[in-house]
Amino acid sequence: MTTANSASKIVVSGFRHFFDTEDGPVQATGEIDLTIRAGEFVTLVGPSGCGKTTLLKAIAGFIRPTEGTIYCDGKPVSGPARERGVVFQELAILPWRTVRRNIGHGLEIAGIPKAEREQKVARLIDLIGLRGFEHRYPHELSGGMRQRVAVARTWAADPDVILMDEPFAAVDAMTRLTLQEELGRLCAATRKTVFFITHSVEEAVFLGDRVLVMTRRPGIIKARIEVPRRSLGGRDWETFTADPEMQNIAEQVLRLVRAERGAAEAEEKREAGAAASS
Amino acid sequence: MSTASARPHAGSPSGLRPGLLVASRWLGNVKILIPFAALVVIWSAIQAVGHFPERVLVSPSRVWDTMLLLFSHGILVEYIRTSIAMIFVATAISLAIGVPLGFLVGSNRYAARALETFLRYLQGISGIAWLPLVVIWFGFTHLTTLAIVIYTLAVPIIFNTMTGVRAVPELYALGLRSLGAGRLRVIRDVYLPGALPSIMVGLRLGMGYGWRALIAAEMLVRQGGLGDLIFGARTSGQIDRIIGGMIVIGALYIIIDRLLVQPLENLTIARWGLLRK
Repeated sequence: MTTANSASKIVVSGFRHFFDTEDGPVQATGEIDLTIRAGEFVTLVGPSGCGKTTLLKAIAGFIRPTEGTIYCDGKPVSGPARERGVVFQELAILPWRTVRRNIGHGLEIAGIPKAEREQKVARLIDLIGLRGFEHRYPHELSGGMRQRVAVARTWAADPDVILMDEPFAAVDAMTRLTLQEELGRLCAATRKTVFFITHSVEEAVFLGDRVLVMTRRPGIIKARIEVPRRSLGGRDWETFTADPEMQNIAEQVLRLVRAERGAAEAEEKREAGAAASS
Repeated sequence: MSTASARPHAGSPSGLRPGLLVASRWLGNVKILIPFAALVVIWSAIQAVGHFPERVLVSPSRVWDTMLLLFSHGILVEYIRTSIAMIFVATAISLAIGVPLGFLVGSNRYAARALETFLRYLQGISGIAWLPLVVIWFGFTHLTTLAIVIYTLAVPIIFNTMTGVRAVPELYALGLRSLGAGRLRVIRDVYLPGALPSIMVGLRLGMGYGWRALIAAEMLVRQGGLGDLIFGARTSGQIDRIIGGMIVIGALYIIIDRLLVQPLENLTIARWGLLRK
């Protein structure tokens, strides 16, 4: 089988993906090779449509790669599993379940006895600050609260790997700052392996141990930037913005992303021009 | 505890005093009855001014007396019982057939696309249009009535179950599968509750259509039921029975719909916040 060393949790090897459309196959990503170490927080930024979500869906096991293989703990991924939890941008928690029953859903599926389940859920509800809202339905909560429930639901099932696809994109800016800090602390405390997709350069640098930058479609990973950790806990925005090295890294990532966006726009203009002149 | 009356303000969010609240609620209910009262007044007026013979129109009070008489002899109850039993048996069978069928079709994209037009087509052929054929097959029996009502009820249930299943976001299923759920679990925890509000809409529509089809079928089959009551009264020219029967038919529909099906629908839809106004 693979010779991946014991510290690598997720290995993406020779991944390429095509989508079937009515006009034939469309290439979603270029060739991607990637290793995520156990306990590492990897963030991925890139222009829209570059294939970020495709890569995440493949790691989650929702789609089968056209080419290449994805390994989790050395075993090829063949479908979704509890060891790889997913938090989506849009809300995937169930509107007909209360906060408590949503968070405990993974435990319920795993057949954990009710008493133990309730205990775990209660602890998580305290942790995400939703005490008193246990019996509310998602539509009775604010956007930030709902996203907390979504994160807690994934956390409760205790996966080794957590895949997040722009989980805070739909939340208001102030709440987002808090949620980012909370997530950072939670990850640092639980040593989860996280793969996190975002549009925001700041978010990517703030949360990541390593930031990956993808090119425009068909995307490949064009840069991998290590972000040093100042302490064992999570970061907070005040010290982050005051840290010149962090700001340097953020600027560097921003330049890489902007260059891709610029190139993509120029390409679009060229194509539009060609279409207009023909 | 029986001390609920000790805190009279607890249940009145508007801050109205209990007496006033009861009065305003009562007024609200009276409002619903105004059109009915108006109809009776106009009816009385026409009857009084026109001096119509009894084989054309009778007075409201005459209808009331006849219905009271039918009721006191247990005749009305018997007709009502037949119709009510029919609609509930048909509903139970239609749910048992329609929900699994709607699920089967809804969970398969190609089957759903292939059957959508066909189901709409069937909705165009009303249950009544099937009557001649079904009478040939099953004769003038309860089975014929039942078949017509089940057909009428099942089509909207199948259709709405199907659309309900198709409307459940795939994301819900993906999210649950990455929590370790298998196929059956996803159906039970995602698609069934997700489709339930739509199934309830189908049930409510179906019971409305089914009730109308039932009365029509009873008029032809003549094996009891309110349709039989009013159609039988026609042959003997009993206008009072016809009008009285019609009033009961409408009243029973309102009772079934407002007191039974609608509360059930509200329970599933409103609480989950799926009803977007």
